[in-house]
Amino acid sequence: MRIVCPFCGERELGEFSYLGDAKPVRPAAGAPEDDVFDYVYLRDNIAGAMSEHWYHAGGCRAWLKITRNTLTHEISSVEPAAGAGAAEVGA
Amino acid sequence: MSSCAIPSFTIRMEGASVAEFSWPPRSPLEHALVAGAYGVREVAPGIFLTEVRNFELIQVMARRGKGAELASATTARFGMAAPDVPKAVSASDVMLIWSGPDQFLVLSKGGKYTINTLSQAFSQSASLSDQSHARAWISVSGAKARTMLAKLSSIDLHPTAFPIGAAAATSIDHTSVNLWRGDDGPDGQAVFNLLLFATFAGSLWQTMLDAGAEYGVDIRHSEEFA
Ligand SMILES: [Zn+2]
Repeated sequence: MRIVCPFCGERELGEFSYLGDAKPVRPAAGAPEDDVFDYVYLRDNIAGAMSEHWYHAGGCRAWLKITRNTLTHEISSVEPAAGAGAAEVGA
Repeated sequence: MSSCAIPSFTIRMEGASVAEFSWPPRSPLEHALVAGAYGVREVAPGIFLTEVRNFELIQVMARRGKGAELASATTARFGMAAPDVPKAVSASDVMLIWSGPDQFLVLSKGGKYTINTLSQAFSQSASLSDQSHARAWISVSGAKARTMLAKLSSIDLHPTAFPIGAAAATSIDHTSVNLWRGDDGPDGQAVFNLLLFATFAGSLWQTMLDAGAEYGVDIRHSEEFA
């Protein structure tokens, strides 16, 4: 498996580390305990296209948001995660 | 180069004894590097492995939303723009090497662009970090340089894919390195440069020697800023 880093170009899997599901959103402060439990522990076990966070640890050290098909490993999109390249966008 | 404390003790008559430390820079390869030939010797060396010592290396990272300010500060300071894609650009006394989004390395001869001389220029736009003694700089050239590096790197270093001025933040032997191609040497061969973490330098040095032994390696160190 190879990943095309938007900053570095195409690199081998070994340069990246996997965080996991990019979908969960941190609940607001004071949210019910169940919401926090869901956010921290519960994950969908997706068979198909999944949005994931990856880290180019052995390269440019940018966080990436990747859409990967868990059945085929086909990657359909790679983009900088929020904050990566922040000097340009000011995000 | 890493620094090593050599304490020299001065006893002051009127007060407590005071230890005075001097910090002469020493290469992390000081013991591992043995100048001369390594590996097969029946042929002319296929690889020239040179450690470049005595350099300043400053990491520059743009602050959030300050990309444009950093770009103009860089041009004002060095007379050239820092690369915003994986490339290395150079003037006679400095190289600017891409190291990731919004960041680059300033590499110069020891004493030239120190963190103190740069901190003022970038105080409004970037965070600086002095890496001068945290990296070892290895230059790899020779007819078999690319063949040797191909054993260690998953990056395509063929001239069409990695021309002069190309740079990469990548991993060799599971260790992060900065790699770039400088100007060709006087022999017309490509010159690849590597910045290695000081504490991994000995291990990667040995790995490169093992990978290069079959081609014959000529080992040197230099203080010449290429
Ligand atoms: Zn990258």
